[in-house]
Amino acid sequence: MNVLSTKTQDEPKLLAPEELTNPTWSSRLTEVVTAAISTRGLRRLGVALGVYVVCLGLFALLVLSQKANPFGVFNSIFQSALFSNGSIPEVILRAVPIVLAALAVSVPARAGLVNVGGEGQLIMGAVAATGVGVYLGNSVPGFIGWICMGVAGFGAGAVWGGLAGLLRVLVNANEAVTTLLLNFIANDTMLYLLYQPWKDPTGGGQPESRPLSSHEVLPRLFGSSINLGVIIAMVAALVVWYLLKRSGWGFALRVVGGNQQAASRAGLPVNRLRISSMAVGGGLAGLGGMLYLAGTQLQLLPGGTATYGYIAFLAAFLGRHDPFKVVLAGLLFAAIAVSAPGLQLSYGLDGNVVDALLAFIVVAPLVLSSRRKGAF
Amino acid sequence: MNGFEQALTTGIEGGTIILYPALGELIGERAGVVNLGMEGCMLAGALSAFAVGAITGSAWLGVLAGIGGGAVVGLAHAWLVVKRHADQLASGLVLWFLALGLTSVLGANYVSQTVTPLPVINVTGLSAIPWIGPIFFEHDSLVYISYFLVPLIGWALYRTRIGLVLRATGERPEVVSVAGRRPELVQMGAVVLGAALAGIGGAQLSVGYVDNWFDDMTNGYGFIAVAVVLFAAWRPWLVMIGAYLFGVALAAAGVLQAHGIEVNQYVLDALPYFVTLVALVALGRSGGSRAPEGLTKALTNSS
Amino acid sequence: MKRKLNHWSRRLRLTSLAVLAVALSGLPIASVASGATTEPWAKATTVGFITVGANTDEGYNEAVYSASLKVASDLHVKVLRAANVPETQQVTTVMQQMVDDGAKIIFATSYGYQSYAYAFAKSHPKILVLHQGGTYTSKFPANLGTYFGEAYDPVSLGGMAAGSVTKTNKLGFVYAFPIPQTVDNVDAFELGAQKIDPKAVTYTVATSEWCDPLKQKSAATALISEGADVLTQHQDCQSTVIEAAKAAKVYVVGYHYDAQSLDPSGWLTGSEWNWAPLYESIIKTAQAGKFTGSKYNANFIGTFASGDNPLQLAPFGHAVTSAVKTKILAAEAKLKAGGSIFTGPIYCNNGKLLVPAGKVATPAAINQFTCFVKGVVG
Repeated sequence: MNVLSTKTQDEPKLLAPEELTNPTWSSRLTEVVTAAISTRGLRRLGVALGVYVVCLGLFALLVLSQKANPFGVFNSIFQSALFSNGSIPEVILRAVPIVLAALAVSVPARAGLVNVGGEGQLIMGAVAATGVGVYLGNSVPGFIGWICMGVAGFGAGAVWGGLAGLLRVLVNANEAVTTLLLNFIANDTMLYLLYQPWKDPTGGGQPESRPLSSHEVLPRLFGSSINLGVIIAMVAALVVWYLLKRSGWGFALRVVGGNQQAASRAGLPVNRLRISSMAVGGGLAGLGGMLYLAGTQLQLLPGGTATYGYIAFLAAFLGRHDPFKVVLAGLLFAAIAVSAPGLQLSYGLDGNVVDALLAFIVVAPLVLSSRRKGAF
Repeated sequence: MNGFEQALTTGIEGGTIILYPALGELIGERAGVVNLGMEGCMLAGALSAFAVGAITGSAWLGVLAGIGGGAVVGLAHAWLVVKRHADQLASGLVLWFLALGLTSVLGANYVSQTVTPLPVINVTGLSAIPWIGPIFFEHDSLVYISYFLVPLIGWALYRTRIGLVLRATGERPEVVSVAGRRPELVQMGAVVLGAALAGIGGAQLSVGYVDNWFDDMTNGYGFIAVAVVLFAAWRPWLVMIGAYLFGVALAAAGVLQAHGIEVNQYVLDALPYFVTLVALVALGRSGGSRAPEGLTKALTNSS
Repeated sequence: MKRKLNHWSRRLRLTSLAVLAVALSGLPIASVASGATTEPWAKATTVGFITVGANTDEGYNEAVYSASLKVASDLHVKVLRAANVPETQQVTTVMQQMVDDGAKIIFATSYGYQSYAYAFAKSHPKILVLHQGGTYTSKFPANLGTYFGEAYDPVSLGGMAAGSVTKTNKLGFVYAFPIPQTVDNVDAFELGAQKIDPKAVTYTVATSEWCDPLKQKSAATALISEGADVLTQHQDCQSTVIEAAKAAKVYVVGYHYDAQSLDPSGWLTGSEWNWAPLYESIIKTAQAGKFTGSKYNANFIGTFASGDNPLQLAPFGHAVTSAVKTKILAAEAKLKAGGSIFTGPIYCNNGKLLVPAGKVATPAAINQFTCFVKGVVG
């Protein structure tokens, strides 16, 4: 704790553990190379590789049990996720809600809080954005519409996440469970709106909201199917990275996450920090819901979030709450989701087989938990 | 039978499906391990029970298989979190996805088939008691077993040496270590036992209550079980009440509508979750929800 | 020195993002409609079918699956199938993959696929997209069609069977959500029952899930305890309700498929899908290059009257007496001759007039029904 008292908040980056042990990047490189060459490093690498091979081997067994060729299946996953027509933009678009909902896990994690509510926060973000978007319609220029919808989405997610933070602080209700409960409530809220007051009167009775007006839809970029939402999500990821690694707020969160008593003795507003981490996290997921709505779905539909909130929790874990790695993990999971149809069409596998694949990929770092270096 | 009685009767039958995994979660959490993958354990239990029940024609063999199915998933969780020190919540969620995928693939041939269910047994004498009888004593045997299981778990937790060791493991594993016990083994045992109970919950769903298998048929009830334990502040009797409350709320949705009482179906659906949330707040206010210390650590993200 | 490291790592990260952005800018652009006069799907040899549930559900999805098998053998086309596809963006990915694998005609068979199917049709003018649901209300693009059947025709006949056996005059109906097709089915069931038993009342329970066995069982139990002695349902999976009826020894009217084997003593009759003739007719029309502007390039509703209803009356169970059978078959003949169960006067259960006396509701109007008729509780 003497570290805490000697360093001021102006230079929080001094505290990042990897930086404490590795003074310069060049010496760090030397160290990594040496470690890799040393037998211990090689053994570690070997174990990590071995665990991944075993996990993928288990998946291959499952595939074999369905009378399909595992090599063909792995090939098909690569083909349909990376090389088929339009698959890369599809993966990136799909990653938008996953990445933002994963960051929604990572921000509170800094403060030692567990947000399992990405699903509900995505939903509430999309719901609020729909309400605002449909209400505004053509009355304002597009970019004002995007801002209003974005603010509404972020705000609704922030309320949903912040509520769990508030309950934690006020009555010590565990946020892992309250966020879980709020997921179900969010889903019922959305269903109610879609089947009753918000049902599109011209939709032939389908449970769907009125579509957003065409200029409220996020524009596509570079002539591809990638839309502005992808850029916004990237910016959001960068902002989160900055907040967590560079800002005083991020530093304070880490102190709270490290030792709450010490944080409060150091004069930090612990309760406010914890609530704000949940609110910002929820807001990010809410923004993800809004971007997915305004960029991809274009109208609120039941089940649109498709367990992305839970997948995001795993992405945050796989990326070890490091914003940059979380983005990569989100892209990986999106790619797996996009590869599912190829497995069905070419190999007749059950569509839900990708749930198993996703799980096998995350099980590996779980197995390697006590050897964290080799995980991801 | 009037609607009120009906809601309670169906509530207990359906609540039992939540009660088993909730008791399992309670045991694991008392030992300091949270299992968010109860949903996966239930799915594994439900499919194993249904498949074996359908093949052998015996629902009881199915229940045994359900115990095994749940325990296998629990063993994976126990190994990951106890032996490999993996993140408990991530491990639970991963095993949920794994079980969801595996049961959907492996269970495809059982979808929509039927099985000879566990018979409903009217307890001689007791079922004749007005009001109480039909509500509590006209169910399948797994419901009756749960009546004994709740006090049994309560007794074992508070009155036996093994219960003491289990609770101590959840609070201060180092003390257990010093006392010459192996906290790791205790935790593994607790998690596997808990998951096996969740497997019974799955079996109660597939071969006890609805006599069918569908992929993802647990529909979030395993997550409810986790919430119920928190609601109950880790006490077996309150777990029972919480599970039944959920079951009754689910049943009430049907009973009210069938009775022609105008209700908003979405509000009714959200009601159990909302009630649990409110109960958590109320319990928290009264200071009644002190978690096992080891669990508090497990539920805190350390990044 | 630390500053330098951070600067470097930040640069690395920004650079990777920039590389990503550049990579994106070179991505292929969605294809543009060609001005060709022949329809691009003429002579199509590959057809895709997408279903929301399992091929083995012995219900809505298996009906599509078996029809797709028949299509493959009858028309000698290659059939691509994707089952268990949720009503999410995943539908779009599946359709794209099918196109990549050579499909020119795609059947998206779940009700909730509508908006995905329509968006896909708009962005892929060379692909023929068909949505099973028949509730599209805007102007049809040349490459979009929707289709369904007058499901309520056979459902009303099932209602007659229910009305003939009920002793309590109470019937139970388990459904998921009050979408128009469900409302139509509930109404037709009650109106059919009233033909035999004017005092028949249909009690309804909504489960808010298309397939949640636990809720279905609770709903069925609640209806039975309310006194209902005939159950029917509009869910994606029906065996739970049938099992519940069997356990309580009440009668059951099926939906989706003939499930008499599950409960031989309680089974009255039901509705069963027979999609193959309609699929084959649509595919042949498309292969001949005559889809655009055809009856399928619109909301096509197959009816008993036109002889192309994909939903048929399922076989009768033992509990239906021959006198009742005669009545039901007579009613079926009347429907086939152009009659309708929705012949006025019909009142909503809130007293509002739904169909005026002497008028017959059009399929389009029926697809907009939101109220339960008099005699329905719920």
